[in-house]
Amino acid sequence: MISAPIARLMAGASLIAVILFGQTVYGAATSSTRLDPSLAGATGLSAVVVVLDFTPERFHNERLAAYGVFAGRDGTVGRIRLRNVNPDNLAALGRLAWVSRIEAVRPPAPRAP
Amino acid sequence: MSIATTAGAPSRSAPSTLSAMLRPLLGLRIVLPFAAVVAIWWAIKWFWQLDDRVLASPAQVATAAIQLANRGILADYAATSLRMMGIAALISALIGVPLGFAIGANRIVARALEGTLRFLQGISGVAWLPLAIIWFGFSDTTKLTVVIYTLVVPIIVNTIVGVRAIPENYVLALQSLGASRLRIMWDVYLPGALPSIVVGLRLGMGYGWRALIAAEMLVRRGGLGDLIFGARTFSQIDRIMVGMVLIGTLYIIVDRLLVQPVETMTLARWGVLRK
Amino acid sequence: MRPPRSAARLRLDRLVWRLLPFSPILIFGAAWSIYWNIAHPPLAVMPSISGMLGAVVELAQSGTLLTDILASLWRLMLGALLGIVMGVMAGFVTGLNKPVATFLNPLLVFFNAISGIVWLPLMIGWVGIGTGLAVFLIWNSVFFIVFQNTVLGVQLVPEVLEQSVRTLGAGRWETIRSVTFPGALPYILNGVRSGLGFGWRALIAAELVGATTGLGQMIFRAADFSRTDIIVAGCLIIGVIAMAMDRWLLLPIERRTVQRWGMVARSEGGPGEGRRA
Repeated sequence: MISAPIARLMAGASLIAVILFGQTVYGAATSSTRLDPSLAGATGLSAVVVVLDFTPERFHNERLAAYGVFAGRDGTVGRIRLRNVNPDNLAALGRLAWVSRIEAVRPPAPRAP
Repeated sequence: MSIATTAGAPSRSAPSTLSAMLRPLLGLRIVLPFAAVVAIWWAIKWFWQLDDRVLASPAQVATAAIQLANRGILADYAATSLRMMGIAALISALIGVPLGFAIGANRIVARALEGTLRFLQGISGVAWLPLAIIWFGFSDTTKLTVVIYTLVVPIIVNTIVGVRAIPENYVLALQSLGASRLRIMWDVYLPGALPSIVVGLRLGMGYGWRALIAAEMLVRRGGLGDLIFGARTFSQIDRIMVGMVLIGTLYIIVDRLLVQPVETMTLARWGVLRK
Repeated sequence: MRPPRSAARLRLDRLVWRLLPFSPILIFGAAWSIYWNIAHPPLAVMPSISGMLGAVVELAQSGTLLTDILASLWRLMLGALLGIVMGVMAGFVTGLNKPVATFLNPLLVFFNAISGIVWLPLMIGWVGIGTGLAVFLIWNSVFFIVFQNTVLGVQLVPEVLEQSVRTLGAGRWETIRSVTFPGALPYILNGVRSGLGFGWRALIAAELVGATTGLGQMIFRAADFSRTDIIVAGCLIIGVIAMAMDRWLLLPIERRTVQRWGMVARSEGGPGEGRRA
């Protein structure tokens, strides 16, 4: 039988562990669903579109800027272009729980004259 | 053995069924008051038809909480604040406890430092925030400096109280057996003062958590203080209230489920020394 | 030969003993001025001692220092007074009424956890920047601590004492006035003292962002112009005021009441066992 304070301590410690690491662990576990297959074997610097299913806020812009060079929006506000993303940062981007997809930048469509 | 268990079964099951019956009641005792507050809050919002930029309804706050969680902000900021608090508590204990031992065990050190300590206690950590920002920039170091400053004094003061409550005989007994100073600290001062140290830590966390929130408001580099102060700019009352609820809840989790059990355990294990 | 030497020695010891509390300040001040004279840090990063003292004089002469101090003290007084009066009254009602105490306890724990500075962003929207905001935050900090301590104090007064006065024919009010109140007073004052500690912190924090005058605002305004001399001077002034309040206001009051009525909890073991908590 566990004494009452130890039981409470364990409950508290596990609760705090969930708050501290829950989102990171969840993001890491589901990272394969975010990364576009075409980016899987990337070795050099790549240009990607980070797709969010909401309008990014200061928090998201600041975080994303840490992984590559911000290069404007891709059509809508929820699609953010990042250039010069190295493979490590690409993997880290994939582990962010709030990112819904990471796609390769499509080559710009030739402009009709 | 088996006879004893069967014989003991009814009498033993009686209290357990009683506590099982009481358990939902206990939950109700906590839920009911909050339900009343939410009802009053909702009534105020509905009766005066208050604008969302004045007061958000409980439903709006719940929606905002889900939205913030989905966008990854809630967990990230909560983790940031908790991590800061943990680091600050650890460093404060490492600084405060040895200093408390020195002051508590030595009259001369006590005479030299106690007044200064009391003086510093009167200057709240937040007052140093502008200077810390000038020195360390808008960084985690700034936040940590302010929180550690706030936390360390209660730990020192309570360590002193704890050390002074230890009967001198214990120290003398070990000394006469040829124990070193370090040994005496480890075997007498630490266990003897531990209950008091934990009390100091608990008190300090109360001050420190608020100092952290205030520091996060000004430093604006993540954390729950940043969340509620940032939401202020856009009058997002729903977000502010989510942040407030979370700040309160996290504090209660840390206080009641982490520090208080440790306090109870140290009191049960070493508390006898104080009497 | 010996007696005069030991007398001189004794006098020296006494002098050292008397000066000892000031040694940290002297050592710190010396280290500060030595560092400052060697490194010559820019004034926007670190002031010199003389520069800091000059800032105090300058602020005092222009009158802003007094205005700021008075603004801060006025807010503290208003907020603390409201918090103490309401906390004591609510504490008595709750402490004497067990079902109410049980009902309110979870709320108390929660609202105590978010008392003070946490309300700042919400309150800026409700009452705007200024005295009202600071007073609310101080009231909020003081109220919960005084309330909690009053409830504790009231509940710790041995029921036997109250009953014995009632059997002597005292009414409910008379019992509260002559037994419960003095019995709970040391706890209440303890709550007032630590409540003012929280309130003072809340005040400075509130003034940093939510005021146009006051000591906190003085420091914050100085930061905008990188006037580190004013920042450090402000911090020291805050410390001096806090210490003066504690030493000349709260400590005497507390000491007098504890001397007169004593701590009720000390009389455990006797009839004090019949706690209501």
